[in-house]
Amino acid sequence: MEQELALLWTALASYVLAGTLAIVGIVLGRRPERWVLTLLCLGLALQSLSLGLRWVRLEHGPFVTMFEILASNVWSLTLIYTLAYWRQPAVRPAAAVVMPILFLMMGWMITTSPEAGHLPPTYHTIWLWFHVAFGKVFLGSVLVAVGLAGVILLRNLPRAATRFANLPASARLEDLAWRFMALGLIFETLMLTVGALWAQDAWGRYWDWDPLETWAFLTWLALAFGLHARMAWNLSERISAMLVLGVFVLAFLTFFGVPFVSTAPHQGAI
Amino acid sequence: MEIRTTPDTLASSGMPRGLLSILASLKFTLVILFALAGGVLAAFRGDADPLWALALPLGLFAVNLGTAVVLHPAFRRQPPLLLFHLALIALVLLLAVGRLTYLKGHLELTEGEAFSGELAGWQAGPWHPWRLDRVKFINEGFRIDYAPGVKRGPTSNVIAWQDADGIWRRGVIGDDQPLLLGGYRFYTSFNKGFAPTFAWRRIGRMGDPVIGSVHLPSYPMHEYSQARAWRLPEGGPALWTQLKFGEVILDPDQASTFRLPEKHSVSIRVGEGASEILREMRPGEVLRLPEGELSYLGLRAWMGYTVFHDPTLPWMLAAVLFAVACLAWHLYSKYFARPWNREA
Ligand code: HEM
Repeated sequence: MEQELALLWTALASYVLAGTLAIVGIVLGRRPERWVLTLLCLGLALQSLSLGLRWVRLEHGPFVTMFEILASNVWSLTLIYTLAYWRQPAVRPAAAVVMPILFLMMGWMITTSPEAGHLPPTYHTIWLWFHVAFGKVFLGSVLVAVGLAGVILLRNLPRAATRFANLPASARLEDLAWRFMALGLIFETLMLTVGALWAQDAWGRYWDWDPLETWAFLTWLALAFGLHARMAWNLSERISAMLVLGVFVLAFLTFFGVPFVSTAPHQGAI
Repeated sequence: MEIRTTPDTLASSGMPRGLLSILASLKFTLVILFALAGGVLAAFRGDADPLWALALPLGLFAVNLGTAVVLHPAFRRQPPLLLFHLALIALVLLLAVGRLTYLKGHLELTEGEAFSGELAGWQAGPWHPWRLDRVKFINEGFRIDYAPGVKRGPTSNVIAWQDADGIWRRGVIGDDQPLLLGGYRFYTSFNKGFAPTFAWRRIGRMGDPVIGSVHLPSYPMHEYSQARAWRLPEGGPALWTQLKFGEVILDPDQASTFRLPEKHSVSIRVGEGASEILREMRPGEVLRLPEGELSYLGLRAWMGYTVFHDPTLPWMLAAVLFAVACLAWHLYSKYFARPWNREA
């Protein structure tokens, strides 16, 4: 376990360095993007190793304890953001928004216990994999969108406007953000579907409005609301960006807030 | 707020005006999505009857979608978008059919006991066809291993059942591996426990005695209250039964397996006050009562099951997968046709 934790700490240091460099670069008007990308990749490689070692030791994936859930999401969100960072130069300055969110999760993770949990009997299923994977792509897409929405909102601050001056116009960023949201909708729908398939056999019902199901569905509705609101009204970029932020907050609370306050129903029983 | 008001997309694109245009409008969609979210929250918090809190917005949802699908030009221009929304309508309708025909219930079976078609408790839609009496299966015993800390591992329950051709088959079911029989899904539940089994022969009655088991509260959840009051059949007296054993069944410090205690006795109390009879019984012992003879046959285990029926399940899955495929198709054709960083 010590080796795993040492690797994890080094990975976190690498992420923090990458994030700080990205943010400082934006503030100073520099573009140390190669360095940021390299550090992110290094962090990902180290954390993959750490997660892999733990997996082999415990004989189950990082799905059980809060530590594991946060660690695997830090990994998947960083992976998705790194891919977007690499492929879409426009999302690079969104690091100013995305990295602090990831820092928050890393900080939270290191306050949780890395001790092993007990894999509930209903976790030996292929659905677990799909459910988790779809959820990660969903949250990652919304995270990229929220980074772009954050840039739009930051631009409205008098001093920050110049830092993002060489980026595409807000209207274009908003368009891109909602493309990521649409991708998020597809993956959230898949996550809910697979979750329902799994729940049917794990708990004998496909849907029961337990806290996690309820909040996940509200997030889905909020996403549908956002997509339709953009068409029904000609929303300003600011309001549109706030809608993205709203959906992200809901999604984030669903993923990490609900399991935090209520562990009982969406877990295996005695 | 900085909402720039523009003509409604519907009005500006050749939609009829009046009530229909309101019913089909995207702004109405937004109101409905809001109402649905409110209904979900109210139902979740227990502030409203879940049926109505959800059924009403979902009904409006179907009306709104239905009229929009017919009237909104966007759907004619974009077939995948149309198909996606049609799949959503199908989903709402299937949900309604599912609520009308579903069954969710629970039952308990002693080891060796056959399911009689009776449930211990249930909820069902008004159109549920009630075909449980045709379902035949027997609980042939189960095994559950526990990790240290009394953490439950998977349940393996051996079941014998009669298939559609009347042939008896045997297999293993568990927490998430149901027995699929006659359109019903039977799952083992985390409820299981000990069942003292008795034979009762009423005075003056000929033939075989009546054999039955008392299901004590679920173990290990109610480890310290292994007692239950019950009544003997054929108008016999009321009894109170407690299981007593000294050994540790599920050891918190090490891995263990659910099993019956090796040595045990049951305390039986009949009547109250001056007429109270209190007896400690071991397997094979007989208690003579004024109304008849009660023999304690021994201890068995019981397993709790849940049963679920919803004929719409495969159709719902098909509708969702179809919807997702159409949504992906729509978004792909819409977004890949137009780069994000240029005006449309
Ligand atoms: C309540 C009934 C609903 C109605 C009447 C409705 C109507 C519409 C209409 C008319 C459009 C096309 C607008 C245009 O291109 O001008 C549209 C697009 C769309 N709707 Fe709905 N909708 C409903 C519910 C939903 C729900 C629940 C979802 C779930 C996610 C959804 C997802 C979408 C998506 C993804 C688009 C395409 C967005 C885009 O192209 O960017 N709709 N809807």
